Amino acid sequence: MQASDVRPLPVLEDTLAYLLNLLDSTDHPFEVVHDFIFDRTRSIRQDLSMQNIVDDKSIYMYEKMVKFHVISHLKLQRCGSSPNISSVHYLNMEQLTKALTSLYNLYDANRDSSTVYRNEAEFRSLYVLLHLDSNSQPMGESLSLWFHCVPHPIIRSKEMCFARSVLRFYQMGNYVRFFSTISAEASYLQYCILELYMSKVRALSLSYINNAGYKLHPYPLVHLSKLLKMKESDLEVLCNACGLETCADEMENKLLPTKQTTFCCPKEGFQSYNFMGLEQFER
Amino acid sequence: MLTTPSKKQPMLFFPEFRNWESAWALEALYVVAYEIRILAERADRELAFNGKSPEKLKGAGSFLMKVFGVLAGKGPKRVGALYVTCQLFKIYFKLGTVNLCRSVIRSIETARIFDFEEFPKRDKVTYMYYTGRLEVFNENFPAADHKLSYALMHCHPHNEANIRMILKYLIPVKLSIGVLPKDWLLEKYGLVEYNNVIQALKRGDLRLLREALEEHEDRFLRSGVFLVLEKLELQVYQRLLKKIYIIQKQRDPSKAHQMKLEVIVKALKWLEIDMDLDEVECIVAILIYKNLVKGYFAHKSKVVVLSKQDPFPKLNSKPVNS
Repeated sequence: MQASDVRPLPVLEDTLAYLLNLLDSTDHPFEVVHDFIFDRTRSIRQDLSMQNIVDDKSIYMYEKMVKFHVISHLKLQRCGSSPNISSVHYLNMEQLTKALTSLYNLYDANRDSSTVYRNEAEFRSLYVLLHLDSNSQPMGESLSLWFHCVPHPIIRSKEMCFARSVLRFYQMGNYVRFFSTISAEASYLQYCILELYMSKVRALSLSYINNAGYKLHPYPLVHLSKLLKMKESDLEVLCNACGLETCADEMENKLLPTKQTTFCCPKEGFQSYNFMGLEQFER
Repeated sequence: MLTTPSKKQPMLFFPEFRNWESAWALEALYVVAYEIRILAERADRELAFNGKSPEKLKGAGSFLMKVFGVLAGKGPKRVGALYVTCQLFKIYFKLGTVNLCRSVIRSIETARIFDFEEFPKRDKVTYMYYTGRLEVFNENFPAADHKLSYALMHCHPHNEANIRMILKYLIPVKLSIGVLPKDWLLEKYGLVEYNNVIQALKRGDLRLLREALEEHEDRFLRSGVFLVLEKLELQVYQRLLKKIYIIQKQRDPSKAHQMKLEVIVKALKWLEIDMDLDEVECIVAILIYKNLVKGYFAHKSKVVVLSKQDPFPKLNSKPVNS
């Protein structure tokens, strides 16, 4: 290996800054932009690891690269459902988890210095949010075990408490607090990870209400849509996607009749709906 | 001072051991396996203390995997495999690389070479303890119950330290399937951290549960049972509603099966828990869906109507429906 094969740190930093600037470009469809940045950030990570750069500067670079993968995680989902997209999405998740693991190792390795990494709590909280479903463990270790190795101040941080609350609400099915908490406290990165769970929770709320609601009191959609932080029209679409019919009363208010036997989660998965109240994240 | 933990000795003993057909040297092998783990732990502590990277325990793990491979054959040596497995478990749990247990478990449980009953009792208890703990981490409560109960039943009754370790994990599992331990059990084995959790379940006291979880948060997080205990909230809600029902029944039996959501909000306010009607309705819907409450809720009248028969079914040793 020659000196010319390896890029010095300042060059890597400049390259990364240039690449991430492209993220906002609207000249090309997102998949194209993502693809371009994906390959080049991976090679930056290889460079960092080859040169064994494991200090603060590496941390800041990894944080930016994880951020790229998190935003891609959300934006790729919105790119439609061509078969190519789902494999791009999968590969992105793979690199997200790799980069995140490396980032955690870097935090741990640099723990002795008196610096507190400002973003560590948020990036640690992403691990919890990636593992809300006990059935899908992208990073292999159960959450119960993972909490073992998280330093105490991080566990107590605002971002981690948020993630743990969301976990609690998700696992119980408490759709009211799930959405109100996200609306009040989620950061952009946290929102990016959470969006993919939202339709699931919304569908779950429909199944609860359909199962437990009084037959003679169909549930008003406008009220439910406010709890689920979605547009009433979107909620109607979701009901139909789950095999549920809606009706209307004399004043044309939309209602969900209960005890329908046709409830069923769509096999192709859910589309995403706008989150009312977090329009700033909808870019 | 340990500069090179005695990797040399087992390296001399082991190839010889492999060649011996009978299992006469198993006891010696057990000593080697045990010592290599203990020495590696000590070596790692020293390395960490001196600012170096602790890798000896990991190396001990790799070595013991090779030993396991030798024992996992058809000969009489196979009876030693469980002992080595347990040493491996202890190493992986200590290192936090618990996913490595999977391949060993697969060999023990699915390979036709081993008959589980052939292994010495002591090893079976240890094995069930660790695999039971893994089931707790993965929240497979029926399996965790089965394994940890086995360990408890076959553990020597005078070995209080071991019984305590088993109970530490068995209790949250039992609570999750609706089985409450007696007070004397907690007292005898010093498991006071569960006292308030159990009181909360008995009384339907949501505030007490949350306080108990907060008070012992570090301990519960470290042992990995925190998330399991958090899930007990639903059972506490069930108990709370049952208490309200009982009070209503005493006042006016004919109307007891109708519970205004407003009343539940008030009861929670007494417990200093702030919940609005929407959230209460949501919780009630979940309880009904998961069969912790039989009945339905009427949105317009803001009322829960309970079934006249068995409105609060018991869990009957099954985990809460998902």
